[in-house]
Amino acid sequence: MVIKKAVVLLFLLCVQVVASAQNNCAIKFSGTVVTEKGEALAGASLGIGKTERGEVSDRNGKFLFSDLCPGEYEVSVQYLGYKTKRFRFTATKDTYEEFRLEPEITELNEVVIQDAVMNTEQAQNFTVLQEKQLAESAGKTLGESLKEITGVNSIQAGPGIFKPVIHGVHSQRVLILNYGIRQEGQQWGAEHAPEIDPFVASNIVVIKDASAIKYGTDALGGVIVVNPAPLPESAGLGGSINTIAQSNGRSGTISGLLEGGIKNQEGWGWRLQGTAKRAGDFSSPDYMLTNTGIKELNFSASTGYHKENAGVEVFFSHFQTELGILKGTAIGNLDDLVNAMEREPPQYTSGFSYGISEPRQEVSHNLLKLNGHIDTHTGDWRVQYGFQNNNRREYDIRMAGLSSIPAIDLVLNTHTLETEWESNNSEKHISGFGITGMLQENNNIPGTQRIPFIPDFNNLSAGLFGVSKLIFKKVVADFGARYDYRYYNVAGYDYKNTLYKSSLQFNNVSATAGATFSLRKQQSLSVNLSTSWRPPHVAELYSLGTHQSAAAIEYGLLLNDSTNEVMEIEDVPFQIEQALKWVSTYQRSGAKFDFEASAYVNYIFNYTYLRPTGITQNIRGTYPYFRYTQTDALFVGADLSATWRVSPMWRITPKATLLRASDVRHDDYLVNIPSNKFEVGLRYEDPTLFSLRNFYVESKVKWVAQQHRAPRTITPREFNDAILEDTDPLLGSSSNFDFMDAPDAYWLINVAMGVSADMGKARYDFRLAAENLLNTEYREYTNRFRYYADDLGTNFIFSIKCTF
Amino acid sequence: MKNNFMNIYQSVIRVLFALSILAATLSLGSCDNDDPTKEDAPELITTATLTFMPSGGGTAVVVTATDPDGDGVKDIEVDGPINLMKNKTYTLSLSLINGLASPTDEGYDITAEVEEESDEHLFFFAWTNEVFADPAGNGNVDNREDPLNYNDEDLGGLPLGLSTDWTSIATSRSGTFRVILKHQPDLKSATSSSDTGETDLDITFNINIE
Repeated sequence: MVIKKAVVLLFLLCVQVVASAQNNCAIKFSGTVVTEKGEALAGASLGIGKTERGEVSDRNGKFLFSDLCPGEYEVSVQYLGYKTKRFRFTATKDTYEEFRLEPEITELNEVVIQDAVMNTEQAQNFTVLQEKQLAESAGKTLGESLKEITGVNSIQAGPGIFKPVIHGVHSQRVLILNYGIRQEGQQWGAEHAPEIDPFVASNIVVIKDASAIKYGTDALGGVIVVNPAPLPESAGLGGSINTIAQSNGRSGTISGLLEGGIKNQEGWGWRLQGTAKRAGDFSSPDYMLTNTGIKELNFSASTGYHKENAGVEVFFSHFQTELGILKGTAIGNLDDLVNAMEREPPQYTSGFSYGISEPRQEVSHNLLKLNGHIDTHTGDWRVQYGFQNNNRREYDIRMAGLSSIPAIDLVLNTHTLETEWESNNSEKHISGFGITGMLQENNNIPGTQRIPFIPDFNNLSAGLFGVSKLIFKKVVADFGARYDYRYYNVAGYDYKNTLYKSSLQFNNVSATAGATFSLRKQQSLSVNLSTSWRPPHVAELYSLGTHQSAAAIEYGLLLNDSTNEVMEIEDVPFQIEQALKWVSTYQRSGAKFDFEASAYVNYIFNYTYLRPTGITQNIRGTYPYFRYTQTDALFVGADLSATWRVSPMWRITPKATLLRASDVRHDDYLVNIPSNKFEVGLRYEDPTLFSLRNFYVESKVKWVAQQHRAPRTITPREFNDAILEDTDPLLGSSSNFDFMDAPDAYWLINVAMGVSADMGKARYDFRLAAENLLNTEYREYTNRFRYYADDLGTNFIFSIKCTF
Repeated sequence: MKNNFMNIYQSVIRVLFALSILAATLSLGSCDNDDPTKEDAPELITTATLTFMPSGGGTAVVVTATDPDGDGVKDIEVDGPINLMKNKTYTLSLSLINGLASPTDEGYDITAEVEEESDEHLFFFAWTNEVFADPAGNGNVDNREDPLNYNDEDLGGLPLGLSTDWTSIATSRSGTFRVILKHQPDLKSATSSSDTGETDLDITFNINIE
């Protein structure tokens, strides 16, 4: 009923806006974008209104918006490494304007921005989620917000846990930089989401090639850079309050930000930010997803002092969440999995509740960052220190009264120290080098009454890198190389609960080379070839036990096949995982049509993954077991996106994310590889409708294909039947398998509308959206809970953001 | 002014370095080489013992299932068979032990843990070839309603199954005998079946009536 009304409303609005669009819309707004010194800036992005209509400045810094209707407009001019410029004008006749952009030298997050300049502006293959797009995903987790970007998917564990996947790889193969600091949490688990509050960010950059070698090892798939806005530098007070209500999960989110400078203390700035979120049980179209609630509380504080050629900053953030895991996933052996998979709705399903019980997770993450930079005539120096404290507790339904104590209780403390020098005396050639160090300690907190899943360890890492950039008239070329060393000291308990200790060392080299060519007619072509490596995570070497909701036992690489004894790394055929990735992006911008296409090939040598190996019987029954194994994996894909401005007010935006992955060594498919997805957006916007600002209404139709390149299926029932006949379905073929066929393809329709209004000095943005408008029943292949339950039903979102 | 600032800046940088070195040292200091604490593992059942005590006295028939390596790859070792006499009544009692704990530890005797949480646990039994006269049939794994002679119950009056009665048939016959322990927190009821909840134990023995 509600849905029907909303559809009718949206339809009426469409009719209305179409009618009001019949104006004399032929005004031109043109101009140039230049630096402070008056040099043309090619590739600056200009947005008009708060709409998504955008242009990109050409080689001479020129841009043109044609076919504008009369009215008030706000133009924003953005260029990485420069301050965003905003300009208001009333369109009555053709207008020309020159925009001078100031460099962002006083950026709070300048390390990241500078790196972004080094690694994205020149090294080509990246996508930015701007503030406006982030506003449209407000209330979602970081991993879910990033799914908007072509080439990015997520590995999901129910409605609250999203792990970003870039070009088919995730976890240890994607590096997340939170405010310039490598995020160090328990990333090894597929149900461990990044511990970052997306409200901290003013933009998020996804670098899809492995060129960002400055940040260290592990960037085999790419890098996610979370950038907060720069700190204010002069007196004044500003801020925003964002409130979001969602019907599915009956959730409420409130996020506030307050920032300012200090009177008579030019250069000083501060910011306070906090988010609180509460959600109850989410629901699928037909039933509740019992025990999927979320409680989240985050805050951050920062202050900094900036001068023309130097600055210092302090930043502290706290992230804390409690997540319920769908109760129906609490299972033991294979028989339980048979029952769970054949049962719908899941076991324990009951009415709506905000309560969170076992199985559940409690995670907190603290970050303290100190950084400074100084620009001298010999070059720019930067130094930053980060301390991260990560706590993770996982509670399972357990016997003997143990449900109230965590089954996994880990604390991970990480210190990072990085220093970097970059030349500043030539505009044609920029080079830099840096040294990084990391000290990490992982401890199991005693009292879990279970043999720890991963051992305690200390990790000492050091790295050294050099980068160089050559800027020619039509070509920008980038080169870089890096050396890393890692030392592990490990102590844990094996299957017999006896102590083992080990020391491990790894070292290797990463390198990157790339270039961007500016072509005629606002076209560009970029190419990057890079190789990067990652040391194995301790979890991949020593894991032992069953996982939340997995019905499988996992063994690390160093556990002996037949005896389970922990072995030395010299005694197993282990080799370092290393990727060779080629990415090429073609871009074309025009008055009516923008187009971007990226193609990539990522060959990962010694790709480490959990391979189904056999079945074992213990007192609790039969379990399949998975062993960390190495193979060579190939990921080939393309990301396509376009914007077609049909008229000044109508825009069509098709997108496609295509990927094929294979296990080359075994001529097999890999499990949990995102399937191809396609999306078409249709958006109408009118900056001046009814004296309101930035009115828009849009709909997005998404089609997610079935994953046809999935490994064979062996259902738990087939396992059971085979066991009764005293055979083993895994004997004779060690091909990958999955317990359930990949789910069918599905369509989703999302609609949204928004409008802004000025009241006094404050600005209000209202947004109303509906996701899965048709309440479609579907299951997503990369959602680990697809064995147990349908995905989410319709969700209505209403948000108000007040900026002052 | 600029020099002044540079001085401030340089001292801030120095403090920053000092802090990080301090933090690094502290952290290294705390990476002492103390061994991690050993955990008890009270949920881990390594040995299940079935004792069939003949009514009116006699020698008990005892069989065990042993898990040599917990979550390791080795299969459990099941002895037996259960050799029962014809036409005789036995009382079966179950004992569950965590062999990784020492016998004095609280976590050693899991039978006691199950008894304590009797409102969340329920044993199910299944057998083939109708080897028992009472209960008749094939057990309550496939159907909770099927007959079974529970001797114990939880506080809510629902059966538990640590102790059960069995009368063998009057002819010689062989079959299998399966015991399942289900953990059914908030789920245990008069109708909760062997499909309900999480499996804590699932073992099968051969049985001979002779």
